[in-house]
Order: sequence, then structure tokens, then C-alpha cells
Amino acid sequence: MIPGEPGSSTKPVSKYRSQFRIYVDVMQVIQREKNQAKPTRILYGANLSHDRLIKYLEELKSLGVIQESGTEDKVYSLTQKGIEFMNNFKKVESFASAFGFRI
Amino acid sequence: MEFIAFVIAAAVAYQALKGYRLSKERTLLYLHFSFVLIGAGLLVDGLSSIVVLLSQFHRGFVVLYALGYTINFIAQLIAYGLLVFAYLQQTRNISAQFAATAVVSALFFERNAFAELILIFLLVYITAHTAMNYSVSKATNSMLVFGAFASLTIAHFFFLMFILVPIFFPLAHIAQLLGFLLLLGMLLRVNQPS
Repeated sequence: MIPGEPGSSTKPVSKYRSQFRIYVDVMQVIQREKNQAKPTRILYGANLSHDRLIKYLEELKSLGVIQESGTEDKVYSLTQKGIEFMNNFKKVESFASAFGFRI
Repeated sequence: MEFIAFVIAAAVAYQALKGYRLSKERTLLYLHFSFVLIGAGLLVDGLSSIVVLLSQFHRGFVVLYALGYTINFIAQLIAYGLLVFAYLQQTRNISAQFAATAVVSALFFERNAFAELILIFLLVYITAHTAMNYSVSKATNSMLVFGAFASLTIAHFFFLMFILVPIFFPLAHIAQLLGFLLLLGMLLRVNQPS
């Protein structure tokens, strides 16, 4: 399970992206890139600064949902755990959006 | 019919809990508790009806039926109030505390047409919200949820009309069952293997 960050009731919903949502965005970019994504693609795809990208990639690696390969040109891919997580997330997202709830 | 609806409500509650565990999204927790309450209310109502039927409408047990209905009614009132609260939390267009106060205030009314109208008012709000969601997303799952809440609203309108015309009683139960079957359809679609 990937821990989420509870939203603050004072911040506007449209501008606030939770830690959980950023994790999912990064993983979605990797999945879109046929499970072989370079850091630059993830940076643009997930709309992150370089520093934050490094931070989140490290966190996702420590959670065991992505893995790094390559020496000079680093490439990131989803692990089996990451693929399973994304499959579950799609179901949850589909369920929540049916009721009109955003995740 | 109540037992079928109970099983479906429990399935929706379970799915919402699974979603909350994965995402820690609070609205899914509200959705979970909402359907737990709806399911519990339906179960109590169904069980009390069976006891009354088995007792062959013995006077002592008829009170039990009224108690079952009241518990179901209060459970639904809190459940739909919680759902409205979840939608308000997401849109944050009016004070959430106001909504909570309105729901708590509604609990002080005994079973009567006015209290039933409060329930219908909450359901109309939820139905309108799910209708707007469907109009934006055009997704089949959203349509099923909208259809479900529209059916539940109609069911409660029929329950209200039952006070005047008895024929509305079976119609209300059919509309309620249809609502839960639409939710089941949505659940099956969400969980079908990709």
C-alpha cells in the first residue's frame, strides 16, 4: 500500500495535488512509456521539478513499486508490485469517479 | 428485497473501503460508512419484517416492525446526510458544518411525512450531483450511479405516497431494488478483469 497525504480543508481542491496523486502520476507516465521511462519524460509527464522528481523516484523505489536500470541513461520501470498497484488504482478511480469523487 | 439490497450495499461499502485503504481519500471513507449504514438499516428492517410475518402479525411484534422501520429510516438519514457531506467536502461551496447541523437537526423529527421529505431532499441533492457528474463524464458507470440514486429517490417518494395510497408500497420496494441492482451493475463493471 502506498501512503496518501490527507488533504487540508483550507486549500483549494483544483490546485492541490496530494503525495499519493503525484506517485500515481509518475507511475502512469512510466506505464504510458511502455514501462521504460527516462527521467526527462517522467519530469514533463508528471509536471515535477527536477528536485521533486528525484525525491519521488527514490520514495517509489523504496516502496518497491518502480525499479531503476541502466548506468548512464537511467530508465525506470514498474515492478510487479507496481503493476498490481496500478491495476487496483484504476478500479478504485473508476469506482470513485462513478460517484463523482476525485482521487 | 431488503436482503438483496443489503448484500449490494455491503459490496459497495467494501469497495469504498478498499479504495480508501489504497488512496486514503476521505470521501471514500464517507462513502463506506454511508453504505454500511444503508446496509445495516435494510438488514434491521428486513429482519423485523420477517419476525412480524412469522408471528402472524401478533400485536406485540408489530411494534418491532415499527422499530425496525425507524432504525432503517434514521440509518438512511445519517447515510444520505454523510453522502451530501462528502459532496460538500469535495466542492466546498458551502460550510460543511451547516450540512452536518442540518442532518443532526433532522434526527429530532419522528417518522412522519415531513421527515420523509428531508430524506427525499437529501436524495434529490445526491441525484442532482450524480446527474451533473454523468453529464460531464458521459461514462456508463456514472450513468448507473445516477440511475441508482434516481431510483432510490423515486422509491422514497413512493414510500411517502404509500401513506395515502397503498399501491405505492410494492412500487417503492421495486424502485428501491432497481436502484441497488444498478449499483451492482456498476460494481461488476468496475471489477471486471481488464
